[in-house]
Amino acid sequence: MPPPHPALPGPDPGGYSRSVPAAGRRALVTGVTGQDGPYLSALLLAEGYEVAGLILPGESVPDSVPAAVHRLEGSLTDSGSLRAALAEVRPSEVYNLAAATSVADSFDNPVAVAEVTGLGVLRLLEAIRQADPGIRLLQASSAEIFGGATTSPQDEGTPLCPVSPYGVAKAFAHQMVQHYRRSRGIFAANAILYNHESPRRGTGFVTRKVSLGAARIARGLETELRLGNLEVERDWGYAPDYVRAMHLILQQDVADDYVIATGRTHTLRELLEVAFSAVGLDWRAHVVTDPALLRPAEPGRLCGDPSRARARLGWAPTREFAELIREMVLTDLAGIDPVASLSDPAGAAAPPSQQPG
Amino acid sequence: MSRSALITGVTGQDGGYLAEHLVAQGYEVHGLIRGQNNPRATVVRRLVPELRLIEGDLHDQSSLIAVLEATHPDEVYNLGAISFVALSFKQAINTGEITGLGVTRMLDAIRLVNPAIRFYQASSSEMFGKVREAPQNELTPFHPRSPYGVAKVYGHHITVNYRESYGLFAVSGILFNHESPRRGLEFVTRKITDGVARIKLGLESELRLGNLDAQRDWGFAGDYVRAMHLMLQQDEADDFVVATGETHSVREFLELAFGHVGLRWQDHVVVDERFLRPADVAVLVGDAAKARRVLGWEPTVAFPELVAMMVESDLRELSAPLSPAAGGRR
Repeated sequence: MPPPHPALPGPDPGGYSRSVPAAGRRALVTGVTGQDGPYLSALLLAEGYEVAGLILPGESVPDSVPAAVHRLEGSLTDSGSLRAALAEVRPSEVYNLAAATSVADSFDNPVAVAEVTGLGVLRLLEAIRQADPGIRLLQASSAEIFGGATTSPQDEGTPLCPVSPYGVAKAFAHQMVQHYRRSRGIFAANAILYNHESPRRGTGFVTRKVSLGAARIARGLETELRLGNLEVERDWGYAPDYVRAMHLILQQDVADDYVIATGRTHTLRELLEVAFSAVGLDWRAHVVTDPALLRPAEPGRLCGDPSRARARLGWAPTREFAELIREMVLTDLAGIDPVASLSDPAGAAAPPSQQPG
Repeated sequence: MSRSALITGVTGQDGGYLAEHLVAQGYEVHGLIRGQNNPRATVVRRLVPELRLIEGDLHDQSSLIAVLEATHPDEVYNLGAISFVALSFKQAINTGEITGLGVTRMLDAIRLVNPAIRFYQASSSEMFGKVREAPQNELTPFHPRSPYGVAKVYGHHITVNYRESYGLFAVSGILFNHESPRRGLEFVTRKITDGVARIKLGLESELRLGNLDAQRDWGFAGDYVRAMHLMLQQDEADDFVVATGETHSVREFLELAFGHVGLRWQDHVVVDERFLRPADVAVLVGDAAKARRVLGWEPTVAFPELVAMMVESDLRELSAPLSPAAGGRR
């Protein structure tokens, strides 16, 4: 956003504008380099926000992060960096998308995951309380907090029952957000996000692993795709729909928690069916199940009931499952140059994943 | 060969009782102690001379690994926590670090050093917070209302997770309030009995308290540490509520405590808004039927006995000002 008075000394090139934009709203997004960060940043910019993104020291920023996003270094593990970021940006809204997001990795690094995904949120809440308790916080909570739920679908009142170190850390963050809302009067809200995918999904996630695998097999770069449990069932939605919900949640009069989900589940088997048929292949000829890719504990049937979001936010998902998966496969296919495919970064740069989902 | 146990939080109320109990059961008992010249070390050393103290900190996972490698425990009792609910509002992050993440650090240290070590996690009724049903049992959903409660829920979930995902013998004892003459002065029960003794001895004239209607399920700490030990002697790891199943209000506690020395609490107690918590919990009352059935555990000290025991102890300590136990308290 250009400074309103070009004749006056402007901000440093690339620095954060000190002027209040027309809408007067500034947002700070943590985890801006993930799948959701760029989608959310683009949406906020379109809504007239000034947007700052917190990046880890030394972290490379993907091209998907809009150029207009001001980049600040900081980490959820460092309270001082959070205080400094809030002081510099003076946001009206903070979107906490940062987390160690791989459920499978969390079994290997439970302490590190807890530091970022759990305690990091508490550090952010405390920083907000001290800097300006009027700041609104959107916490990207997760369906994994319901991991072992015995009821389906889950809604905002379902008891938490996490079954992975990731889920346990997210549950901690979820309840701290509720605590700061109820006892400290902070406008802090949880978006309980069920799985949400897009062509920008990280290659460690099962949907992208499948879409990329199907595309590479179709291009003749691979012959097989190794996966864990094919019976896992997930409620898979479209990431841009989910960041829209995040924004809507912070525009309400009262802070509350919302399940953001499609309300429909599909198995990994169905996902394979759609993905491979998008490139005219039969998945049975290519998929190998590998016990090494099974998780120590697999969540049960996670299916969200988004009734509250539908009723209060007027939110509804726009993309069907099959449509979403086909888009992912075709994007991956287009990213692989059929001639120079062996040196193509979109394919060759993707490391083989150890994570089932 | 005698069994070996490691206790974190050994300088706390339960640490002392548990160390005594395990020593009496023939264990070699190690206690984790934080920092240099920790003044509370002297107290617990005097209480349990057989206890071996070793330095380590729930903040520092490598120190935990070193301690496990040095002490070779068969059982680890994790009582270490920032356990004062009101303090957790002021030091939320520190509470999350110790009371919450400290559990993961210890569990992960066990997984790395020797996954056969049995682990006891001191969970708390504060996890139930704004309760959805009464009494609360092992299946009651959590709704914590303080940073301490949220951190304890985290500790509980991660304990269950290590049991289910890594196969550790890890149990969570959901303990309702348990008191004793050794309770810290920052806790309401001990604050009252200390205040009663001071007023009785003419050292003070009033006692300032917060919400007198707060109700708790108060048991005797000596009974509760027995339950901790029993949980680690079972064939299968499981979680247990430990409670008396009775609730009493702060008012009833006052009635009995002041009555024990022939005083009326109404003449001395001042309600002070400053002691009201930002979000106080509703009625907490535990259903310990499973502990009774599976562990054969029963509380042995009833509420009036507990109050009398605490008042008597405070009277004794304050009337003998030169005794080492009362050092500095006046």
